[in-house]
Amino acid sequence: MVDFFQNTIDGVMIGSSYGLLALGFTVIFGVMRRLNLSYGPSIMIGGYLGTVLYLNHGAGPLVVAGAVVLGAAIAGVYVERLCFAPMKAGAGIASMVSSFAIWMQLEQAAILVLPRHTYPFPPLATGATLEFGPFFVRIDHLIMLVCALGLAAAVQVTLYRTRFGLALRAIIGHPVAAHLVGINVRRAMLLAFAAASAIGGVAGFLVLAVDQQVTPMFGMWATLKGLIAMMIGGLGSVPGAVVGGLLLGVIETHSQWYFGPQFRDLIAYVVLFAFLVARPGGLFGRAPSPDITTPQKA
Amino acid sequence: MDDYLIGVLSNIGVISFIALSAYLLLLTGEISFGQQAFFAIGAYAAGIATALWGWPLALALVWGAAIGGAAAVLVGIPTLRLHGLYFAIATLAFAEMVRILFELFRYQITIDGELVGPDGADGFRNIRYIFDNNIDAFQFLLLIYALLAVVLLGFVLLERSRLGVIFRMIGEDETLAGLQGVSIAHHKVLAAGISGALAGIGGGLYAHLTTYVEPRIFDVMLGVHSLAYGLIGGLGTALGPLLGVLIDIGVLESIRALSGYRMIIFGGLVALLLIVRPRGLLDENVVHKIGRFWRRISPWARRPGLNTGNRNNLTGGRP
Repeated sequence: MVDFFQNTIDGVMIGSSYGLLALGFTVIFGVMRRLNLSYGPSIMIGGYLGTVLYLNHGAGPLVVAGAVVLGAAIAGVYVERLCFAPMKAGAGIASMVSSFAIWMQLEQAAILVLPRHTYPFPPLATGATLEFGPFFVRIDHLIMLVCALGLAAAVQVTLYRTRFGLALRAIIGHPVAAHLVGINVRRAMLLAFAAASAIGGVAGFLVLAVDQQVTPMFGMWATLKGLIAMMIGGLGSVPGAVVGGLLLGVIETHSQWYFGPQFRDLIAYVVLFAFLVARPGGLFGRAPSPDITTPQKA
Repeated sequence: MDDYLIGVLSNIGVISFIALSAYLLLLTGEISFGQQAFFAIGAYAAGIATALWGWPLALALVWGAAIGGAAAVLVGIPTLRLHGLYFAIATLAFAEMVRILFELFRYQITIDGELVGPDGADGFRNIRYIFDNNIDAFQFLLLIYALLAVVLLGFVLLERSRLGVIFRMIGEDETLAGLQGVSIAHHKVLAAGISGALAGIGGGLYAHLTTYVEPRIFDVMLGVHSLAYGLIGGLGTALGPLLGVLIDIGVLESIRALSGYRMIIFGGLVALLLIVRPRGLLDENVVHKIGRFWRRISPWARRPGLNTGNRNNLTGGRP
């Protein structure tokens, strides 16, 4: 029983990183109705920037954190300018493939800068733990959970309590109408994109600090985990992203504990597939949304 | 031809099959991130058939195609009502399940005092049919391209048939197609089955070309690449995905002097290309213009303006 609860706690902690990744994803998808495959690789660029500062200049965790977030946001803006801003409405598939091409580009760029397979990343709280009765919680995991909940609340408040959020929701509802009432759609989209990538950067920094290493594969990992958590939670839903992430974490830890590491990923994909078939909207999602989901016109 | 060139051309040929399989689904409006699953299933099925069961290659390739197609139908049915991103992620989830299952899949028997067969994550070695039967690399290359030519001919006939029109119509607007009396479900499952079989043939050829397959080859990267080929090359004709493969593998291999920078250049070029041509180089407009030009200069083509027949008409000539 203690194992069960300890696993669940670990799952929630690990799941909070998935939730953070899904949060950035869902902001991009919510506003753009497009899939940004370069989301993870943008975060990886931030991670590499942080590692370079750490290795060459001995930067502390705060500076590294800032560098990761900034690097991810800059890479995100680059992706938006190249893959999303110039595309006409309805060219959702082209945007997605284009963001995949940029993924390849970012990965190669990272390998050029730091050619070895792994590089060290500064830890946040070297594996220190807190004890609650028979249960243990790692401090860096706890920071991750707090950040996930805090950022989710911030995103929710921004979307529903500020003028900028209102503008974004207007764009989500109808981009042309939003443009007609005087909203600068392109600028709002760029800002949302940069903010989403920065949220991903926060997730990236926390995960890398727990792992204490960074590899070029991190980009693919982040994209996949964020995507799965977002789909389970429900496309475009802020609470859904967090809950989906936590649920994915819990499912993974339990399957790893009872069946081993290969079954961990297998069961995660089975759950994802089952969710898509039985309940495509995810836990919190509404009916499937337009653009990329409808066939594109030439 | 030297070995290097034969190797590159064989690769282009084999990858063309999976690119065409993703292209067929793109025609019906579906984005699949999971064609690598059927490629993998075809590779394992055909490899097991020749290496373990001693089947002839032709039969093994048909078997690989059949199993690949059957698997695609099995995935196609539950995912029928999914579209766009939902369909893409569902196929991705399925493909990753298949990849992990192959990591767990062990089926080995002793042949000539040697264990042969898939060995989980360590892969499936010694698919030696083409060596045991003295088929040299050039002959195998010819086989690949002969099969590819047959498939392309199939696509040409498809584009001129009622079925092809229905596929494109479903891709354009599913609701409208349904209102015309087209059975959406049947045609989408059919398209999924054909595309799975295409990927299955490609997988079978791949397994015999490289003599060795392992689960990690069939990851998301392969799937997204095969999807990208159609979009880079163009969605107007089946030659589009081939052009995409040629540009990717051909260009990547030929500018090896730029190794280290090639993905930076190639990725940037693709992104820029898609801004100008969101449906690829050979999109429907280009194909239409080439067709018009051809009809103008060709002595055999029927003249536009005269009665060109109702062959491409959905009603098939009936009023």
